[in-house]
Amino acid sequence: MRKEEVPVYVVNLALKLGATDASANIIEDDRTMIRFSNNEITISKASKEVLLGLFVMIEKHRATTTVPLSSLPNIKKAAKNLVRAAQTTPPADVYAPLPSGPFQYDPKLLGASKLPLSPDKLTGYVRDAVDGALEEGAEKVAGTLVATKTRSTLATSGQVSVTQEKSGLEMSIRAFTSDIASGHSVSVSSGQEEFSPSQAGREAGRIAKAASEPEQGRPGKFTALLGPLVFADLVSQVGRLSSAFQVLVGRSFLADKLGSEVSCAKFTLVDDPTDEGSYGARAFDDEGVPTRRNAIIDRGVLKTYLHNSATAKRFGVETTANAGLIMPHPWNLTVVAGDRSFGQLLAEIDEGIYVTNDWYLRYQNYRTGDFSTIPRDGMFLIRNGEIKTSIRELRISDNMLRIFRSITGLSDSRQWVKWWEVAVPTLTPYAVVEDMIFTKSGM
Amino acid sequence: MEELARFALDYAQGLGVEYAESRFQSDMREVVVLKNGTTEVSSVDERRGISVRVLVNRSMGFASTNTLTKASIKAATNRAFKLARAASKGFGKGVTLGKGDLGKGRVELKPRIQSSNIGLESRVNALKQADEQAEAAASKAQVKIPARILTLDTWDTEKFVMTSDGAAVMTAMPRAALHVFLTAFHPQKGPVQRSFNLGGTGGWEVVEGWDLPRLFWDEAHALSKILLEAKEAPKGEMGLVLGPEVVGIVSHESSGHPGEADRILGREAAQAGETYLKADSLGLRVGSHLVNVVDDPTIKGSFGYYAYDEEGVKARKRVLIKEGAINEYLQNRETAYVFGVESNGASRAVAYNREPIVRMANTFLEPGEYGEEELFEGIKEGVYIKNFMEWNIDDRRFNQRYVGLEAYRIEKGELTDVVKNPILEVTTVGLWSAIEAVGKDVGFQAAYCGKGDPMQAIPVWTGGPHTRLRKVRLGGA
Repeated sequence: MRKEEVPVYVVNLALKLGATDASANIIEDDRTMIRFSNNEITISKASKEVLLGLFVMIEKHRATTTVPLSSLPNIKKAAKNLVRAAQTTPPADVYAPLPSGPFQYDPKLLGASKLPLSPDKLTGYVRDAVDGALEEGAEKVAGTLVATKTRSTLATSGQVSVTQEKSGLEMSIRAFTSDIASGHSVSVSSGQEEFSPSQAGREAGRIAKAASEPEQGRPGKFTALLGPLVFADLVSQVGRLSSAFQVLVGRSFLADKLGSEVSCAKFTLVDDPTDEGSYGARAFDDEGVPTRRNAIIDRGVLKTYLHNSATAKRFGVETTANAGLIMPHPWNLTVVAGDRSFGQLLAEIDEGIYVTNDWYLRYQNYRTGDFSTIPRDGMFLIRNGEIKTSIRELRISDNMLRIFRSITGLSDSRQWVKWWEVAVPTLTPYAVVEDMIFTKSGM
Repeated sequence: MEELARFALDYAQGLGVEYAESRFQSDMREVVVLKNGTTEVSSVDERRGISVRVLVNRSMGFASTNTLTKASIKAATNRAFKLARAASKGFGKGVTLGKGDLGKGRVELKPRIQSSNIGLESRVNALKQADEQAEAAASKAQVKIPARILTLDTWDTEKFVMTSDGAAVMTAMPRAALHVFLTAFHPQKGPVQRSFNLGGTGGWEVVEGWDLPRLFWDEAHALSKILLEAKEAPKGEMGLVLGPEVVGIVSHESSGHPGEADRILGREAAQAGETYLKADSLGLRVGSHLVNVVDDPTIKGSFGYYAYDEEGVKARKRVLIKEGAINEYLQNRETAYVFGVESNGASRAVAYNREPIVRMANTFLEPGEYGEEELFEGIKEGVYIKNFMEWNIDDRRFNQRYVGLEAYRIEKGELTDVVKNPILEVTTVGLWSAIEAVGKDVGFQAAYCGKGDPMQAIPVWTGGPHTRLRKVRLGGA
């Protein structure tokens, strides 16, 4: 049996064994990662993996398994074991049959760009990024280059049989001018045409240079100008916690807020996997439903949670094509651009703080949105519309809903962000937030 | 698996590399999720594959595959070789591996009760009983616990590690873990949340040892008390007692992470960051003389237990802070060479397709002389923080914040009011230096430590005894 035929075969087998619904997905993943630090490559890594994911339901009884794709007898055994596991799994609270096709998929979203994966080419990307940062004044540089090719072949009992290919290039680079002065930038692309490691290196180098000799920051409430990396982190929190599953388990400040104002009217957040050529574009979700453009927040109002068919049934709505078989999630977050240039946003701030990046965001309470996160890399005082002193050692200790309701400006320029701290590809502008709370260590 | 690992090693050596290492790893995992009292899903996962690491012209290459054929293993090894060779052309780091106590042999931890023999019904019942106790405790206090998610995870890991310089170690470890997230709610008070992990190495006896019904009753009772009774937390300088859960996270974040030698060398700079410590910081005083922090992978039954690391080096206890001074860093063979020491067996990988990097195992403050009551007796006015929800630390591991969840006011040595969300925002040296009394009791919590790229969430314990700090500022600056 050819590999491509396995998912349909397994789905039919599971149905014969007593499943009411079944899906099978072969995921072939081929990735190369080059990590570098202190201006040198520290390790070059490659992985090639073929996995078979199976999911069955016997009405409300649900079970799943992921195994390496191996011989047909082993696959049959996995399917039999899984149906048996579903039979003994107590019922979930709802039964939502897997969505039934046949579906039409956008052919432009099914294919992938061709990527250059030769070791010399990939090493060259790293060299471009490092050189870019050093030319801007950085003294040492660290980061990661990732090149990925994936192929997903999905079949479901809902007459789905489809294959999706995806490719991606990611450069994440952090430049230092001293132990306490750094800048970070990324370049994320589904193909090599828009991939710009050198530009990412230069941007990281420029921020690091500007951040040299930082002074201790002063805590208090300030107007904050958030760069794309830090704003993407906050936006991806909204995207992630708009999952209906997260709402149901108490891990979302968006619970009970459908139809309510959850941000300022300037802010519109869309999950748009139909944006052809963008990093997170895809044709179908894990239930085989064609993806769609979902406005999560439209001009300040929370319009929808992200659903698979099971969470949709719980909420009495239709799936938004964001399955995750158990947990729906965003694919490709996009903040609608604002109407100001970066310069205009800056010029309108009398006294504030420009934050370029953050890390380590943790919640005190997901339900209320109380959290803190730590600005890292360049952070600067703004006075009279100009970037002034480089500052350090402050923490953002605030509330998600308050922050999004206090946005007063968004830039017209946007950047795709995905890196270690931001898992979902996110297209974000610069944002201005009033009265952001900054704290510092007391001793 | 031994045959394939040996084949990979032989093939790599045939390419003329300076060093080769092969690792077979399989993880067989069973998971059940209970969401708001209902079984969401059960799953059985198998992940297994083989990886090779090679040094070519002192440049490191790594590759993995889960297709266990000689052709696939050859292709992966060739790929690691070519990547390393390409990087070595004037751009490689120049890696040399240091020495370590390389092992040979087999370490198999046999569970008393094999988890794979425990049926789904028993697993679900264990979770349901716990869940019902949580609801009952909250209901008794007239509080609701509307959102509850419990994820029970048992898995068996088998590894075989071989290196071209003689290590050949097979290990087999079962583990069990439970992740819990609870939201308690009262219409007039709002929500309060608690997240925690339990975990250990062993079979189903680990789960039985948790006494989940009692634990969940206690947790829900505490959340109810916080919701109904908590008063505003005091601010300003005062005495502070931290419970084992808080001391554990402090030990992990503010001693373990800053003491990772790869961070010191800048290898994690673009991801998990660097550290305030330098290669020459050994001997640097960072805390009071009562502070002794260790990282010990050899604790049997612990979540972070292992006998040999992923480079085949025998695991041993590491004394990170000794009597308040930096004493030792966590080393793998690559960092050990740079530091001129031997590896102390801190090289870990979470799966076959992840490179081994410097990791913690079980990091904790060692016990002192004080009974728990004696610690409180020494405080006229202060706060006791038993556990926490929010925490973070900067990427130099110097400025941290812990926001207490279950916490009490201390007045004249006695615990009085429940207080809401006391905030400790403090530097690493400030915190360790303020320790004036360390308890006899050591408690541990399970956690998944995040590091590496791609991320490797690795099982650890964090822990310590009740600990008293003098005159720390609560409420932030």
